[in-house]
Amino acid sequence: MSEAVSTQSVAESRDAPETTSDDDVRTEMRNYSAFDQELTHRALNLRMLMRLLRWAKPYKLTLITSSILITLVSALSVLMPIVHSRVVIDTILVPVHAPARFQDFGVVDAYQWLLAFTEWHPLTIALAMSVAMFLITSLMSIAQQLSLTSGALKTLRDLRVDLFTSLERKPASFYDHVGVGRVMTRITNDVENLFNLITSFVQHTGDFVPFIFVVAICFTFDFELTLVGMMIIPLAAIATVTFRWVMREIFRRIRDSVSQLNQYMQEDLMGIEVVQLSGREEYNISEYRKLNQENRRQEFRAINWEVIYESFNTSLTSFASAGVLWFGGGKVVQEEISLGMLYLFMEFLNRMVAPIMGLGYFFNVLFRSMASGERIFQALDWDEQIHEPEKPATLPERLNGAVEFKNLNFAYAGSDQILKDVSFSIEPGEKLAIVGATGSGKSTIIRLLARSYDFDDNMIFVDDIDVNQIRTNDLRRRIGVVMQDFHIFSGTILDNIALSNPNVSRERAIWASRLVNAHRFIEALPNGYETELAERGHNLSQGQQQLLAFARVLAADPEILVLDEATSSIDTGTELVIQEALHNLTIGRTSIIIAHRLQTIQECDRVLVLHQGEVRELGTHEELLEKQGIYYTLHQLQFQDSATASQLTGDPDEMEAERRRRWVEMNPDAESEPFGNDSMGGSGFIGGSGGSGTRPTGV
Amino acid sequence: MRSGGFGGGGGYSSGRWGGGVSSRINRERSSYKHLGHLAKLFPYILKYKWILIICIAAILCHRGLMAYMPQFMKVAFNDLANPNVEAETYKQAIGLLVTTIVSIIVYVPARRALRRLSISITYDLRQRFFSHVQYQGPSFFNKFGTGDLMSRAVNDINMVRMAVSFGWVNLMVFVFTVIASISFMLSMSPKLTLAVVIPLPLVGLVGFLMARGVYPYYRERQEALADVTSFTQENLNGIRTIQAMAQEENEIERFKDSSTSYIKKFYRATRYQTFMNTYISALTMIAPMIILVYGGMLVMDGEIGIGDFTAFSAYLTMLVGQVSSIGFSLAMFVAAAAGTARIFEVLESDPEVTDDAETAVPQNIEGSLEFRELTYRYPETTIDTLSGVNIKLEAGKTVALLGRIGSGKSTVLKAAVRMIDTPRNHVFLDGHDICDYSVKQLRETITLVPQHAFLFSASVKENITYDNPKRDESEVMHAANSAGLEEALQDLAQGLDTVVGERGITLSGGQKQRATLARGLIRESEILLLDDCFSSVDTRTEELIIDGLQTMRAGKSTILISHRVSTARHADYIYVLDAGSIIEAGTHDELLEKDGYYANLEKVQSNQEQTAQEKEKLLEQLNPTSDSNDVQVASSTT
Repeated sequence: MSEAVSTQSVAESRDAPETTSDDDVRTEMRNYSAFDQELTHRALNLRMLMRLLRWAKPYKLTLITSSILITLVSALSVLMPIVHSRVVIDTILVPVHAPARFQDFGVVDAYQWLLAFTEWHPLTIALAMSVAMFLITSLMSIAQQLSLTSGALKTLRDLRVDLFTSLERKPASFYDHVGVGRVMTRITNDVENLFNLITSFVQHTGDFVPFIFVVAICFTFDFELTLVGMMIIPLAAIATVTFRWVMREIFRRIRDSVSQLNQYMQEDLMGIEVVQLSGREEYNISEYRKLNQENRRQEFRAINWEVIYESFNTSLTSFASAGVLWFGGGKVVQEEISLGMLYLFMEFLNRMVAPIMGLGYFFNVLFRSMASGERIFQALDWDEQIHEPEKPATLPERLNGAVEFKNLNFAYAGSDQILKDVSFSIEPGEKLAIVGATGSGKSTIIRLLARSYDFDDNMIFVDDIDVNQIRTNDLRRRIGVVMQDFHIFSGTILDNIALSNPNVSRERAIWASRLVNAHRFIEALPNGYETELAERGHNLSQGQQQLLAFARVLAADPEILVLDEATSSIDTGTELVIQEALHNLTIGRTSIIIAHRLQTIQECDRVLVLHQGEVRELGTHEELLEKQGIYYTLHQLQFQDSATASQLTGDPDEMEAERRRRWVEMNPDAESEPFGNDSMGGSGFIGGSGGSGTRPTGV
Repeated sequence: MRSGGFGGGGGYSSGRWGGGVSSRINRERSSYKHLGHLAKLFPYILKYKWILIICIAAILCHRGLMAYMPQFMKVAFNDLANPNVEAETYKQAIGLLVTTIVSIIVYVPARRALRRLSISITYDLRQRFFSHVQYQGPSFFNKFGTGDLMSRAVNDINMVRMAVSFGWVNLMVFVFTVIASISFMLSMSPKLTLAVVIPLPLVGLVGFLMARGVYPYYRERQEALADVTSFTQENLNGIRTIQAMAQEENEIERFKDSSTSYIKKFYRATRYQTFMNTYISALTMIAPMIILVYGGMLVMDGEIGIGDFTAFSAYLTMLVGQVSSIGFSLAMFVAAAAGTARIFEVLESDPEVTDDAETAVPQNIEGSLEFRELTYRYPETTIDTLSGVNIKLEAGKTVALLGRIGSGKSTVLKAAVRMIDTPRNHVFLDGHDICDYSVKQLRETITLVPQHAFLFSASVKENITYDNPKRDESEVMHAANSAGLEEALQDLAQGLDTVVGERGITLSGGQKQRATLARGLIRESEILLLDDCFSSVDTRTEELIIDGLQTMRAGKSTILISHRVSTARHADYIYVLDAGSIIEAGTHDELLEKDGYYANLEKVQSNQEQTAQEKEKLLEQLNPTSDSNDVQVASSTT
């Protein structure tokens, strides 16, 4: 198969893409920008709310109990003032002439019965009634609040976990287009907003249920006076709606200005070194001042409205009190209502305004959570997935590790074809280097092998099994991938090697670290394998990070190794350590390496040259050099340093002898056994000549 | 995040700066002993003392009017209950209306001024915070990470603002309301007043104690949320790695645990708060019950009228509302005090590098730089990073520094621009101690291009002209071309105006490095320090850039750090550093002659075409892996 690339197939594939790419590639173009859009829906989306209820299902008993309790609590809390007005004022203190004419909801009867039954002082009975009501209300209220919180929290926990699960399984193509930040806020803030929605919904039910009771009671007392009192409701409503309308824009500007302010500061802090080196401190302070001033300006604007609204609202009740006093006073004189009723009216006024004012706030929460809900469901409904086989193939205990690519065509969604009719095969245990210019499709090949993207059946085979017939998770356990952008997590070194994989014991992790040369630097760290790493491994050098990534893959012991060699240059000493680690890593493993270094290429059995998505050359390093084709040119360009060096130094054999001599000179300790395993001691690269043989290496 | 007095419009925006988890955990348990920190805010508040005094007077007046309102009800009810008097409730109604309108007129401007004041204080604090941070040195930024500083600037300043905006106004309102209500109550019935007021301090005390108790619950809840947030963030950042290693299921389990732990903490906090509210409302119920029984008896005895009875209830409602909210105000103060402490922890740390008393230094710099016996140890470390380093850069020359990672090369360069606390009498610019120059002048004369390529979220042009945004386009193009950025710019849709960085297009590592190089080159300063600025640039481009540099920097001094001999050999003089000391120095040819580190490095780097066997041997020498090496080290030291 090594000579699979015939000029003919190349020519064919050149003609092919336009007509076949749609069929070849399962992924279609998706509108990822939808994910980035600012969702500011103002419409009530009931279907979404209903859908949310599905997550509440397991906890419906708790939530229904809570709803029933809140109704009961509201009803009881309304009855309490009735005891005060009808019993205490109208019956005990200022007895009315014909009590039966006035509505009392059986409270007076209960009082009369208790009075006859206990023969206590009338006020004691009124007290007993109030205390009893209070106790019952309190207990029910506690039960209500706790059941609500528990139900709502669990509902949202489940939603959050489901959301996380769904995002965790989104394929690479998804994360190619969607920023982590956007996804993040869905899991954190948006779910939190929904929680606020639930609690504030129930809280407002807690305001509204009594509101309905209150209005009903007032109407049974006196129709006209109720209307007078209720006049403030439209006023409050108009004020609230107007205020919210005016403030929406101002609040938006405040939010914008705050986020600009924060972004500016964050970026300034991240680049503080550059700021100081460029002498930009004063300039940045004045830039920041401008943003700060804008923020202050918007805040001031908001204050003007807020203060007026606030004071209007608190005065509303006083206005209504005046009205009720005016008309109600006359009604009391004419004995249309009792004194206790007038008192009750005034007591109830507050309860009429509060829910209206709260409503404005509630709608705010509602709309915000609407948008949050939509974002969450958008993520949940995003059906982008790696295609899983219906009848997955069962893999043997241990794969041999043969890999074959057969006429592979591939294009990322919405872009040109990246790989064109790629065919090659690798024997078990063979090491293949892939070289090619940027954009030649090297990374795509290894991404496809790990099934990060979907592609057609019968194009890639592992041990003669079509990878599309293997469950992605099974496949990925067998193929160890080290990409250039491997991630170091915060946590201990051990955690980073084991990656919460229960099969990787501490011993195994240490074994792996030893094999890839990581053990030495890890041991030298203050807490060894328990050393806490910062996210992205900021407290490790680049080389150390690389070794850690190697150890991680080795610990998982995959049959096939896929590696994208780091491009950035590291100092020569570290580079050699990494080279050796790489060597150990690939022993007995089928390996595909995207190579950027000549040493790595020479380490491999064969070299595959990719050019513009096509396999152009395949063979050993020497063969390809002789061929004087693309590889030869690449070699000349990319490894110019070595080319010039060999010109300078001449005969490689002579050089070898020369180098041996020099090494011995540099390391007098090692004279007896020039190239022995322990000839250099722990002194590292230049320790001998530096005169300090005790320094730890490479940390 | 807004939270107005009308019910608040904002949620806690935690998670935005969720990075500072550990700082949250380390945050001292808030308690009342922190309240003293609030005194630090006085200078900020006193700036506005006149507004403050007028406002306090207005608020006092407003509370008086509010407290007078139940008096109208008292008269109306007394008249209504008294068969001998013809009640004219419209009069009281009008009185109520007028009082309300007057109170609005008094209240609105005063409240507005107070709220403006709190915004101004926030503004001042924020401005000072930002300004202060700009001049801090590296050990400050080691101590306070970006996330931590952001959390202080955002969350803590917000807390202070809440306290300044609402907290102490609430306190004032509390005091005035109590005084006014109690005086009116006393005027109606001293006996009943006494009976009613006695249980109130109890309410306040319990509220106070319990509000203090709620804080740990609340904080635990926030910490758990921060855990969920940071877990999620990290997981998503590393999603490719997780998927490649097929670890999704384990991660989902961990997320489940983390979310469950969060809702548990949340539930606990709610439970505490629910019970607390119940206790407090039970205690507050005592007073109305006293009015009901004792007040009722007084009415029956004819000592007070039914109007007084109802007015008492109204005053009580006022008092109870205040007393129960005082716990909340105090909690706010506690939070603000902790926030203040955290803000001032930053504001009170002095910059490490300051301009010393002026010594006469030349204004026209020729560009010679000398390090004499420079020894430096980073704070809180045990090993000298530099020991006795001597480097001499003559004006107009180029010097290269080589050495392994961690050998102290970057520290040398940092010392020259005082990015570390450079000791006196060790580094000299044109023969004068660099500590005698102002930091500003020093950093204008010496440009350091740091190793870590950082670009701001701004256009390429703004990034390159970062030191002076007024530079014209031809200068920018010249610098960009010299840095080898020409081709990269052609690829960008909007050329120089393309926005790059975190919130723009991500450039490749090499492009970033070249852009930062251009940022340094454009300044054309007398001395240029390049800290390994070609590591992500391929060799050919590097050659081109260096060729360009040689013409552009002709007659000016340059120090460059490199790992490549091919780069270093262009320098007039080369120093090799190891473990903080110079181990070799000389010109390229001299060093090759010497057969030392440099010569070996040249061999290794230039000869990559070795046989596998050869390489292995080389490797063994360079990086011994077997444990027997450690033994050997031990024996060689003894």
